[in-house]
Amino acid sequence: MPSTLVRRKASAPEERSLPATPLAVVLAVALPAALTAAVAWGSTSIPPGEVWGVVWRRLSGEAPRPGTNDLIVWQLRVPRALLAALVGAGLGVVGTAVQALVRNPLADPYLLGISNGASLGAVVAIVLGLGAGGALGLGLSGAAFAGALAAFALVWAVARRGGGFAPLRLVLAGVAIGQFLSGFTSYLVLQAGDEQQTHSVLFWLMGSLSGANWQMLAVPAVAVPVALLWLQARARGLNALLMGDETAAGLGVDVTRLRRELFAVTSVLTGVLVAVSGAIAFVALMVPHVCRLIVGGDHRRLLPVSALFGAVLLVVVDIVCRTAMDTQELPVGVVTSLLGAPALLYLLDRRLGSGS
Amino acid sequence: MRIDIEDLHVAYAGRTVVAGAHLIAAEGEITGLVGPNGSGKSTLLRTVYRHLKPAAGRVRLAGTDLRELSPAESARHVAALPQERGSDFELSVREVVAMGRTPYKRAFAGEDATDRDIVARALADVGMDEQAGRRFTALSGGERQRVLLARAFAQSPDVLVLDEPTNHLDIRHQVGLLALLRAQRRTTLVSLHDLNAAASVCDRLHVLHAGSVVASGSPREVLTPALMAQVFGVRAAVVDHPLTGDPLIAFDHRAPADAEPRAPRRPLP
Repeated sequence: MPSTLVRRKASAPEERSLPATPLAVVLAVALPAALTAAVAWGSTSIPPGEVWGVVWRRLSGEAPRPGTNDLIVWQLRVPRALLAALVGAGLGVVGTAVQALVRNPLADPYLLGISNGASLGAVVAIVLGLGAGGALGLGLSGAAFAGALAAFALVWAVARRGGGFAPLRLVLAGVAIGQFLSGFTSYLVLQAGDEQQTHSVLFWLMGSLSGANWQMLAVPAVAVPVALLWLQARARGLNALLMGDETAAGLGVDVTRLRRELFAVTSVLTGVLVAVSGAIAFVALMVPHVCRLIVGGDHRRLLPVSALFGAVLLVVVDIVCRTAMDTQELPVGVVTSLLGAPALLYLLDRRLGSGS
Repeated sequence: MRIDIEDLHVAYAGRTVVAGAHLIAAEGEITGLVGPNGSGKSTLLRTVYRHLKPAAGRVRLAGTDLRELSPAESARHVAALPQERGSDFELSVREVVAMGRTPYKRAFAGEDATDRDIVARALADVGMDEQAGRRFTALSGGERQRVLLARAFAQSPDVLVLDEPTNHLDIRHQVGLLALLRAQRRTTLVSLHDLNAAASVCDRLHVLHAGSVVASGSPREVLTPALMAQVFGVRAAVVDHPLTGDPLIAFDHRAPADAEPRAPRRPLP
C-alpha cells in the first residue's frame, strides 16, 4: 500500500496475551496434580503420599501392603480419574475438530446427532436389560457405540445428498436426525416404567463417570491419542477451512476429502466418549472456545492445549461431583451444564461486545 | 507462467455456468475478466484455483493440465483471493498470512526461517507489518483485504487469481489495492465489476457473457459502446480519461440500452 496510508499501531488488548508453550507446560504440570487430588479426595481421604505409594507398588508388581487403601485407590479412584482425563481430553479435541468442520466456533459434536444415537443405543440396552453385563459381550458401552455409528451413518447419508459436506447441510442433518433419535429415547424412557431403570437411564443421559473401571479405559486410551495425532497432522488444513472452502482449495487442501474424514473421525471419537461416559454437556463446546481466547485459533497449538485443558477440567469437575454432596454423587453432566451455561453466556456477551 | 483456458465447461449447483470458454492470461500481465452478474466469472476462476473441477475442457498452467498436478503442487504456483472473508476464530493477522505456506509444508512441520521471512515480506508488501499481532476479525474491510492479499503473496505464487478484490472497499482502498497489484508485475487473472477500474489496470480484457468469452483484447479494443449495449444492456459513451488517457466509460444511468429513445429533457412549463 502507498506509504500515505495511516498506519495504526497495534493496540494492546488485541495482542495474544499468552504464548502457547508456557500454558501447555502449566497444564502438563496441572494434570498429574489434579489426578493426584482426584484420587486422594473423597468419602475417605487418602494422603497423596499413600496414593503414589499404592500406584508405585501396583505398577512395579509388588503385593499391596495390607491395611492400606489399595482397593479404593487402584480399583475405584485411579480408573475413574484416568477416565475423566481421557474423556475430557477427547471432548476438547473433538470439539475443536467439529468447530473447524462446520466452521462455527460455537458448535459441538452433539450438534451432529451422534450423541443422540449413542444415547438411544444405551437406553435400548438398559431397557432390554443388556446394561448389567454383557449379553452378546456388548453391554451398555457397546450399545452406545453402535447407536453412535448408526446415527453417524444416517447423518452422513443425508448430508452427502446434494454433494459435498457443506457446513450448514451437515448441521441441519445432524440436528434433525438428533431430534428424531432423542424422540425415540424419550419414548423408551416413558415406556420403561421401572423406576430403577428410569433412574439409571437418566443418570446415563446426563453424563457420568461413576461406572469407571480399568476395562473401560482401553478403547478411549487408544482412540483419543490416535485422533489427536491424526488431527495434529492436518492442523494446517483445519486452519485453512476456517477461512472458507474456496480459500482452503486455493491453498492446496482437498476440502471435500478433509471434511469427509474429519466427520468420520469426530463421529467415531464422539461415539467412543459417549459410550464410556454418557452425554456430558458443554465441555466440547467450552474447552476449545476458551483455549482459542488464550492461545489463538491456530490448530497446531489449539489441539494439544484443548486436549490438556479438557483433561484437567473434567478431572476437577469430577472431584466436585463426588464431594459436593454427602449423600449422593452428582452426574458430571449436571455440573458441566451448571458451570457451562453461564460461561457460554459470558462468552457470547463478550463476542457481541467486541462487535464481531 | 501463463494460463491457458481451453474450451472450458463448468457446472455449478447443477447448472452449466461456463460453456466453452477460451482465454489466455499471459506471463507478467494483468488479465481482466469482466461481464454481467451470472456470466460465469467466479465459476471460471474457481476452476483455476481448483475449488471446482471442469466438466470438459482444461486449464493449463505453463502448458501442463492442472489435473496432472496435485492440489498442493498447483497451490505452489497459483494463489487465489476468493470472495470469502473468513470467520471469527481468533486468528491473528500473522497466522492468516502464514496460511499461505500451507502447500509447502508437510504434516507436523513447523515454520522455518524461510517461511518467516516470506510472511514478513508479504506483510510489509501490503503495509500491514505493524499490525501482525492484531486479531484478523478486528480489522476494517480494507485492512482485511490487504491481509488476505498478503496471504496470497506468502504462497510465493507464479500466478495470482483474484475474484472481485475491490468489492466492498471504499474508493481509496480500491485504488490502493489495484496499485499494489500493478506494482507486483506478476501474472494476474482478476475479475472486476468496475469496468473503468478494469480499463485502467488490466493489460488485456476478456468479456464473459452467458458462460463464454465474447470479446478479448486491450481495454480500448474491447470496451466499446456496442459491447456495452449487447453484453451489459446499457448505453455508454467511451471517452479518454482526462487524467490518465485510459478509456473512460461514461454510462447513461437513466435508461437501459433497449429502452425507447427518450426525448431530451425539456424545462417544465
